[in-house]
Amino acid sequence: MNSLMIKALAFSAVLMGATIFVVKYMNVDLSDPVNLITMLGAAAIAFLTFGVAAKYINQMKTDKAEGELTDDNWDGIGEYKNELPGGWAYSFLGTIIWAMWYWTVGYPVNAYSQIGEYNKEVKAYNAQFQEMHKNADADTLQAMGESIFLVQCAPCHGETADGLSGKAQDLTARMAKDQILDVIAKGSNQLGFPMGAMPAGMASGADAEAIADYIVGGMQGQAPAAYATCAACHGADGQGMNGMSPNITKYDEKIVTQVLANGKKGMIGKMPSFNNRLTPVQEKALATYLQSL
Amino acid sequence: MFHWLEKNPFFFAVGVFLVIAFAGLVEILPNFGEASRPVVGLKPYTVLELAGKEVYKKDNCIACHSQLIRPFKSETDRYGQYSLSGEYAYDRPFLWGSKRTGPDLHRIGNYRSTDWHENHMWDPKSVIPQSIMPAYKHQFSNIADIETAYAEAVTVKELFNTPYDVDGGVALGSWEDARAAALAEAKEIAADMKNQDVKDLVANDQIPEIVALIAYMNKLK
Ligand code: HEC
Ligand code: HEC
Ligand code: HEC
Repeated sequence: MNSLMIKALAFSAVLMGATIFVVKYMNVDLSDPVNLITMLGAAAIAFLTFGVAAKYINQMKTDKAEGELTDDNWDGIGEYKNELPGGWAYSFLGTIIWAMWYWTVGYPVNAYSQIGEYNKEVKAYNAQFQEMHKNADADTLQAMGESIFLVQCAPCHGETADGLSGKAQDLTARMAKDQILDVIAKGSNQLGFPMGAMPAGMASGADAEAIADYIVGGMQGQAPAAYATCAACHGADGQGMNGMSPNITKYDEKIVTQVLANGKKGMIGKMPSFNNRLTPVQEKALATYLQSL
Repeated sequence: MFHWLEKNPFFFAVGVFLVIAFAGLVEILPNFGEASRPVVGLKPYTVLELAGKEVYKKDNCIACHSQLIRPFKSETDRYGQYSLSGEYAYDRPFLWGSKRTGPDLHRIGNYRSTDWHENHMWDPKSVIPQSIMPAYKHQFSNIADIETAYAEAVTVKELFNTPYDVDGGVALGSWEDARAAALAEAKEIAADMKNQDVKDLVANDQIPEIVALIAYMNKLK
């Protein structure tokens, strides 16, 4: 070993010492793998830089030119016949073979597509979601419903679902009196119930008022006589005869899914349809959440 | 030839560029040409919608809103189907935007309605209490520039063959036709609104910017 090599090694040792000093006295947490890897990397760089530099400087100092010359000679400057370095030659061959594979198989068969990745991701997610929530219990549905509501519905219905003082349906209560009167007067045909349309003008004047008061009051006590017209379709209890027509007493699952599928334009304004934007489990979750309000 | 190139570094550089760019060109250009054709069923903007698009540009909504839904589940859950190049075929210029201070608006027409936009543009905090979006009350009294919108539609029809006046498509016709159509469309929107000043203006055959803007928002699906 000559003096240059010794100097280089000494210098690397100083740098490593400095690294260790920094680690020790600056309280670097080595249990964090990133810090550990950084420290090892610093040490490796210090060692390699000076080791490699010293090796080549040495070589330049001591190497003698020898070997077989080619026949070419340019004004006294010649060229050695050197074998290709093995590693280089094999990697060159390797890249040629790889290029052939990439041309014929690699690219055509495995080409990356962002949409493909998206489709895969969504498919996997949906399968997992369905599996996980196949038999979701009430608590899960409630929590899921609330979080969907906050993202998709709260901008219109408000975070507390109060309808933002009349800007959308107040979902903490079923329809208000003037809304019911409006439906009685104008009829409605947009929610896609099996019974189809509700005709306009089924009741009017004091009869309509009495019916609306009765429905808003939660259908307590004696039904007004005129309610019999409504009962034919909505049932004596107002529950919509098992989903044939809307439940006018509370938000059951059927009314929520029908509104989400068809949207609704009423006295207050227009709610767009959520057709295909929510899964059945999510719609069920929303219904659970709305019923809890 | 090669000898000559070696002596002329500039042309050598040009040659190198062509060789390198070639692979990219043959892969990208045909694909791009295919993808940027209008998607099936795409219709050009009506004059009122174009006027609304001008309002969108003028009031710089693009500073805070993008119109490009990327194919990530988190985005498609919130905004709907990811955007396709072909959907922008009649957008000149397209308004992709590059900053989302507010949400993406490329499909806003699917999940917001006229009455909601009315409340929101008048005072965003009235519907989203934490909103930092500015109110745009002036749009309720400023009159939209229907003439320029008509001129724009005629220009893209003549220059780029944008399919106006085709069967089952958007009719453009003469200036009088177009104005009447824009007014009819505006009346439909005003009927769903509550602001009395807006209703009065539209009843007097004037179209406030907010009506044009809402027409444009409702078209974004
Ligand atoms: C012919 C059957 C029929 C009769 C009679 C009838 N309804 Fe209806 N009603 C329906 C149907 C069907 C709907 C759903 C309409 C739709 O799809 O938009 C409905 C909707 C409603 C709604 C709106 C529910 C919602 O969530 O939007 C109310 C309120 C209502 N009816 C109240 C009444 C009252 C009060 C009466 C009596 C005066 C009455 N209905 C009589 C069939 C009827
Ligand atoms: C763009 C605003 C908007 C969004 C978003 C919205 N709604 Fe609505 N919703 C309304 C309006 C406005 C009404 C009242 C329509 C009327 O009767 O005039 C309404 C009514 C309703 C009703 C009552 C329907 C009836 O027949 O009584 C239900 C239930 C409802 N929304 C549920 C939801 C749910 C769940 C979501 C979220 C997935 C949602 N809404 C998102 C605006 C919206
Ligand atoms: C300073 C930034 C800013 C500007 C400029 C701005 N917005 Fe917004 N916008 C927001 C923010 C933040 C939200 C989210 C909160 C809210 O809904 O108000 C938003 C929400 C919206 C929404 C509701 C989107 C959704 O999915 O809920 C619409 C529609 C909208 N902006 C339209 C516009 C229009 C049209 C303009 C131009 C006239 C505009 N914005 C200009 C910041 C901005």
